[in-house]
Amino acid sequence: MAEMQEYWRWTEYDWHSPEIEWRRGKRIAAGIDVGSVSSQALVLVDGQIFAFSNLRTGSNSPDSAHKAINGALKDTGMELSNIKYTVGTGYGRVNVPFANRAITEIACHARGANFMAGPKIRTVLDMGGQDCKAIHCDERGKVSNFLMNDKCAAGTGRGMEVMADLLSIPIKDIGDLSYQVDQEPQPVSSTCVVFAKSERVSLLLGRIGVEDQFFITGGIAKNPGVVKRLEKELGIQAVKSKYDSQIAGALGAALFADTLLQKGA
Amino acid sequence: MVEKFKEWYVNRHAYAKQWKERTGGKVIGTFCTYVPEEILVAAKMLPVRVIGSHEPQDVTEPHIFGMFCPFCRDALAQGLKGRFQYLDGVVLAHSCIHFRQTFNSWRIHLPVEFSYYIPMPNTVQTPHARSYHKGEVEKFQAALQEYIGRPITGEDLDRGIRILNRNRRLLRQVYEYRKLDSPPLTGEEAMYMAVTSQFIDKEEHSDVLEAVLKELPGRKLPRDPGIRLMAVGSENDDAEFFKMVESVGGTVVIDEQCAGSRYFWNESVPNGDRMAAIANRYLDRPPCPVKDYPSHSRFAHVLNLAKDYRAQGAIIMQEKFCDPHEGDNPRLKKFLEENGIPTLSLEFDSTNPLGPFRIRVEAFLETIRGEELF
Repeated sequence: MAEMQEYWRWTEYDWHSPEIEWRRGKRIAAGIDVGSVSSQALVLVDGQIFAFSNLRTGSNSPDSAHKAINGALKDTGMELSNIKYTVGTGYGRVNVPFANRAITEIACHARGANFMAGPKIRTVLDMGGQDCKAIHCDERGKVSNFLMNDKCAAGTGRGMEVMADLLSIPIKDIGDLSYQVDQEPQPVSSTCVVFAKSERVSLLLGRIGVEDQFFITGGIAKNPGVVKRLEKELGIQAVKSKYDSQIAGALGAALFADTLLQKGA
Repeated sequence: MVEKFKEWYVNRHAYAKQWKERTGGKVIGTFCTYVPEEILVAAKMLPVRVIGSHEPQDVTEPHIFGMFCPFCRDALAQGLKGRFQYLDGVVLAHSCIHFRQTFNSWRIHLPVEFSYYIPMPNTVQTPHARSYHKGEVEKFQAALQEYIGRPITGEDLDRGIRILNRNRRLLRQVYEYRKLDSPPLTGEEAMYMAVTSQFIDKEEHSDVLEAVLKELPGRKLPRDPGIRLMAVGSENDDAEFFKMVESVGGTVVIDEQCAGSRYFWNESVPNGDRMAAIANRYLDRPPCPVKDYPSHSRFAHVLNLAKDYRAQGAIIMQEKFCDPHEGDNPRLKKFLEENGIPTLSLEFDSTNPLGPFRIRVEAFLETIRGEELF
């Protein structure tokens, strides 16, 4: 019998900088983002990204947090005890056992986006596993206003995974494949997942207003089918960044941890 | 003594039953805070505001629409579940259509000895409303007299006015303490205090308020008040929500809702004409949005409260499907923000998702506070 392919599965990975000699670092700060679908850990050494991991969230938040940080620290020689301050964020933010403080993912995504795409970013859209947030921020990445989708998680990351399985298309291909049609398909009912996404998100952004510059974070930002349609709907191009959009929350959390260390925490 | 209000809130039905046994008096269910309670108290009755229980229910679907506000459905459910069987009568003073139909459904399915509908005008701002409403309040008095079989005298009415005004004044005195840098009572405690005044014997409630007023100067809460917040809405007595807000770094220092300050903010001013004093009190009170046109007096009142109590942010608690508030809220939000009060809008049902609300409240507090993170 052929092995069943898991179309929904996206690549879990970890990375660390071959250049940074962390033992010489003065400030070692970490951010842990335990989301509803994925978890990330990110370590900063003197404000520079040293290591991170991106994994699927497991059945409980404390385990997911441990797995994420162990993934980030793998082969670096660094241990948990070397980290001086940790900020937890995301859906499981209060269940990160080794965190010194919890900060909302709304604040963390804005701060992360500020680092990833620059201080001119004013609107951030975080498209995550089970919800979606439209955020306004200032030149420091401090949130000035935000809006979240309320009751329905249709069209978010988990919905995309379900669709990938249903259509038997690997999740990483689904966005590009969505353009291999002669014309846009009829909208599915407004409560349904994939194609409802861009409509719903643009409505959300419409309510808060889009201010230039605009940046997208979260896993769904990796789906060009959603991103391009959203840009078309809004009439604005999203700023591109060299960083993985999925680490924005953990990066923001780590940046807060780093600031708190500098302030003597 | 502050704990007494929560105890009353939790055991409100037991209290009403015991009151009835103890006094032999009649208990009247009031629908909406526009019912002129002075007259009920003058007739030695216990007015008990009909409110919900914040539990899921499945009994109102055959009677009122699912798109009626959750408060209507929750309130009717309490009647249908037999929790208000001790009521001798029910009274509605007209405010919104949803609640009027809720009241009618109650009258059909839960017959009581005395039921009365006061067709209170919504256009309270027109001068004609004064004479009209005075007439309606007099008719209500006449109907009550017929029901109890004795007159409600001028002396009775004076006593009713005095008892109501005393309670209102004491509630405002307690609210004054919320203006302090470190308020000696939480928003949750204040909510229990204000909402219980709507169904506990006013004299008994006032006596406890007086004791609390003696206690407050020396009362210190073992918590940092954090961000000072205002709660704006309608019948929002979701204690769990207030508790959550006050567990993540905020304190509700003032409210503008009918479960709170709108209910007790002004007094009946006796001016030789008792019935006019009573009628006018309800025309002149801080209005529900349904009675706030053509001019919008409510917005200025909300802002004044926010300033007086130094609120740093306002949580707009929108009861789902409540059209009058839904009509006000977009402009109210803009108005407050233009005047330097940031807002967070949340939509409330009879049961609410505390987790998702929590992240919104925390993020809201971070946008107000947050400087230490940069």
